Amino acid sequence: MREKKVEQYDVVVIGGGAAGMTAAIYAGRARLSTLIIEQALVGGLATNTNEIENYPGFPEGVTGKGLMELFHQQAKKFDVKFKLTDVRKVELEGEIKKVETFRNIYEAKVVIIASGGRPRVTGADKEEDYLGKGIAFCATCDAAANTGKTVVVIGSGDAAIEEGIFLTKFANKVVVSIIHDEGKMDCNEIAKAAALANSKMEFQWNTVVDHFEGDEELKTVVLKNLKTEALIPIDCHTCFEFIGYIPNTDIFKGLIDITNKGYIVTNENMETNVEGVYAVGDVRDRYLRQVATCVGDGATAGVGAEKYIAESEAFVSHVMKEDKPGVAYVFNAIEADQRELLSEIEKMELDYKDQYYFSKIDVYKSKGLANRLGVKEYPAVAIIKDGKVDCIITENISKESLLKALK
Amino acid sequence: MKEVTIDCLGEACPVPLIKAENALKEIEVGDLLIVQIDHSCAMKNVPEWARKNGHNVEIEEVDDGEWEVVIEKV
Repeated sequence: MREKKVEQYDVVVIGGGAAGMTAAIYAGRARLSTLIIEQALVGGLATNTNEIENYPGFPEGVTGKGLMELFHQQAKKFDVKFKLTDVRKVELEGEIKKVETFRNIYEAKVVIIASGGRPRVTGADKEEDYLGKGIAFCATCDAAANTGKTVVVIGSGDAAIEEGIFLTKFANKVVVSIIHDEGKMDCNEIAKAAALANSKMEFQWNTVVDHFEGDEELKTVVLKNLKTEALIPIDCHTCFEFIGYIPNTDIFKGLIDITNKGYIVTNENMETNVEGVYAVGDVRDRYLRQVATCVGDGATAGVGAEKYIAESEAFVSHVMKEDKPGVAYVFNAIEADQRELLSEIEKMELDYKDQYYFSKIDVYKSKGLANRLGVKEYPAVAIIKDGKVDCIITENISKESLLKALK
Repeated sequence: MKEVTIDCLGEACPVPLIKAENALKEIEVGDLLIVQIDHSCAMKNVPEWARKNGHNVEIEEVDDGEWEVVIEKV
């Protein structure tokens, strides 16, 4: 085995789509050394979209590729490094996290997961031969090329039916293959009613794809009726598959909380259940997946990463000193009684600053340091001995009780 | 383990891919082939071909619009 080269970064972002690049722009601008690892092309899924008309700031619309190129340039401006390869393995626990590619191990204080997802495929015979050669996943991208043609749509969810309706603006006929009994669709009722009323749409109920046929390009989709077993060949120019989306989370399984559909669970600050690990964009369990929402996620995680790293440094250098015992007063500055207690502690600090060191932690802005100390309610005092939390006092905080605990 | 570098700067598709295919035949398993390219089309088809054949691939951006595709023969 070739020895892997080890490199250190403050932040490693896995995935170079809209969310990952935004997180990196924020981290880079905060002067954190930042690396993005992208397995294919920078820009992610947005680059598959020909025209993005609803991303604010571009009233004339913009191509997905063009927009992502601007993100890329902006990230580079803040000295973000890009590495184009796939991540093989991660270690997320602890202060220093590891992200492994085939040639390198990147050590990072913060890992931001922005690995996105990919469209689900049917798995039918010969499908692989026609991916990108007649089998497509984005109506917006490929609709115009089907003007006047027949297309097949697989699926009956919101995406399938809404995109199917969109396709009727271009195609002559849109044949929709639906796995359910006649009249049943997975999409919303409005889309369903519109689809059933659309004269260009035709429905093949109780069907799935049996196999694909063609030469260089796809020519025929052969459907199979699940009830009658009958094969139904449909000649078409393009077959659009809208049967769901698979998040790229295989390498994170068992390491962080993931939903049963494979999406990563975060709180509103994009924090996963592992400290210092964030998830953003399409890979996250969330309501809407758009460039605009990815940008919001990325900004939140980028700022979170900066705060987390600053706190880690403060924690080690100011709170957890080893040379003498310490008093860490954790309080909320908007509570009057907790502010009063603060002045008591400060008085005590004047008298005892040679014997003990004192740190005051306000949780109003961030609970990060309090969490590291294991303090959940405020006010509280953590007594630190030999660089470790010795005990936490939450009741009867007074000079006497603290001195007793420090003994 | 050796490292072979091929210069495909200024060459458009499919030249880098053909050169890479030929060069990979000449090296042993575990060796590295480094393909220098500056056409973005090669950035797609060279790694795609290499990954499809099971090799390890990494792309490094050397300069603006200039890349090295690193392929480890498997």
